[in-house]
Amino acid sequence: MVQGNIPGKELKPVMDTNEFSEKKKPRTGRNTLSREELKKQQEFQQEAVTHINSLYNYALHLTMNPDDAENLVQETYLKAYKFFNSFERGTNCKAWLFKILKNNYINRFRKNSREPGKVDYDLIKDFYHSIKDVRSDTSEAESDYFHSLMHEEVYQALQSLPEEFREVIQLCDIEGFTYEEIANMVESPIGTVRSRLYRGRKLLRAQLETYARKYGFNTDSEE
Amino acid sequence: MSCALDCELSAREEEEFLKHLAECPECAAEFTEAKKTKMIIREKIVRVKAPQSLVESILRLGTHTNPQAEGSLLFDQL
Repeated sequence: MVQGNIPGKELKPVMDTNEFSEKKKPRTGRNTLSREELKKQQEFQQEAVTHINSLYNYALHLTMNPDDAENLVQETYLKAYKFFNSFERGTNCKAWLFKILKNNYINRFRKNSREPGKVDYDLIKDFYHSIKDVRSDTSEAESDYFHSLMHEEVYQALQSLPEEFREVIQLCDIEGFTYEEIANMVESPIGTVRSRLYRGRKLLRAQLETYARKYGFNTDSEE
Repeated sequence: MSCALDCELSAREEEEFLKHLAECPECAAEFTEAKKTKMIIREKIVRVKAPQSLVESILRLGTHTNPQAEGSLLFDQL
């Protein structure tokens, strides 16, 4: 087990206990922070708040909506702060936060979301236009076919993958988590993560090549 | 293959893998393509910054200026 206790539905009894014991404390000195509280706040900012951009991006990719993403991140940090004491020091805090966010997402958003596997390309387009202004362009120096691909198309290709594949690719390639961390997050054995990565990337490559062919690039490397 | 791509191989496994690549053009070609795919994802997926208002509200956590949000969280969990 890599991570500490993850606030989520499966740990509810433990959390509720914490909750009540916390609430029973006298409420004096509400405006002046205790030394302990200050220390906790400082550590929280160093350990957890530094990952806010990654969390926000992950939330955007899950919800595809800036408002929902913001709420999700807000909620994640509220929970993380409340249960920061149960975070196992020395383990990957970013992975811990991602897991909390994922649990929140499942509880709150997924129930009334679109059917799994169904990709709404208009939604992707809108999403991309809504964030286009702030993106940082990468250099397009190489004439490789992959480099002709647009951000939007790569995003679409990724979104077109079944969720279990897309998820591991995101966590591995975009967020740089280790297999062990990913396995913990998606609650599957490492072997499963590995094979999902392999199959997902194969599917993704096929999809990207379709786009590349559209631009007239010859992608058959054998010929 | 995936393990090699993601630097998840042990030193010995990596040595074996590289030895195999040197002898097997098919695997070598596949590995090159796989590396390219990984790179393209890293490069082309746009990263945005979290809105400043969100960052600020999270930096305020623990200062008890946000009792409403804490209240709703409690409600949410019970």
